[in-house]
Amino acid sequence: MDYDDDDQRLVASVLASRPAADVAPGFLARVNARIDAARDEGWFGLADFRVWTLRLVPAAAALALIGLLWPGTSSTAPRAADATPAVAASESAAPQRFTPSSASDWQRDVTANALLEAAMHSRGEGRAR
Amino acid sequence: MDPDRELVEAAAAGSRDAFDELVRRHQAAIVSLAQVLTSGRGDPDDLAQEVFVRAWRSLRTFRGESLFRTWLHRVAINVVRTSQAKRGLWTRLFTSDSQDSVPERASGEEPLDAVLARRQVIDRALATLPEELRVAVTLRDLQGLDYKEIADLIGVPVGTVESRIFRARQKLKPLLAPLLKGR
Repeated sequence: MDYDDDDQRLVASVLASRPAADVAPGFLARVNARIDAARDEGWFGLADFRVWTLRLVPAAAALALIGLLWPGTSSTAPRAADATPAVAASESAAPQRFTPSSASDWQRDVTANALLEAAMHSRGEGRAR
Repeated sequence: MDPDRELVEAAAAGSRDAFDELVRRHQAAIVSLAQVLTSGRGDPDDLAQEVFVRAWRSLRTFRGESLFRTWLHRVAINVVRTSQAKRGLWTRLFTSDSQDSVPERASGEEPLDAVLARRQVIDRALATLPEELRVAVTLRDLQGLDYKEIADLIGVPVGTVESRIFRARQKLKPLLAPLLKGR
């Protein structure tokens, strides 16, 4: 055991005698330069559009999803708006026939004659049955 | 009492002068540690610089629960391990024989002087040890940390540290024979 202890002490003393590392001249200056570079990179990083583009992807996806699912932005509104010129054209064309086949039809500006005709037509069909 | 405490507090508050002084105090120890832990694989000077850059960035997270020196050594070990892992991956991917990346040990080379020779013999001997033994014995015998500090630093019980250091010295003894003569 003493032999072991002596060996341990001996090896430890040899290891402790390892000459200290020679620190390269300018070591501190290079550390400081790297710290400054990292800091500048951080500020310039804020202006890097690629970083922002990637970071904004989830937000953009969420907004797109909300836009699709939001009740007020369903497909009916644009269709009604699109339909307006067509309605105007058909009214001017002649037989003002009104068939309430879809919800959008109820949103049109319908003339009184067309409404009456539609009502009469449906009543006539009912009697035929 | 941590001899670095005042400087650490000043540096954490943003004082670059205080941090510069901390670098001056510990640079030799950290470069030495990097030299031994890399065993010639990698640039110890570059790694030591990275250690201080990381230390500066993380200084606000240092709570003073250990000595600054202990904390800095932990940062150094993490930096070296990360670097070695990346280097190992690179070597496995792009070289056919990983032994190619191990620098030659200057065997047969005549040392320039006794100081260099001593350092070479010690570094070569340490390089033969498994990492867990090398880290423990380096922190104890080269860096002068006590067993408790080492245990805290590497996250193992003090008894394990003692055992690792004991086994490391046993393995080193024949390899350090040229330096043991006359002692």
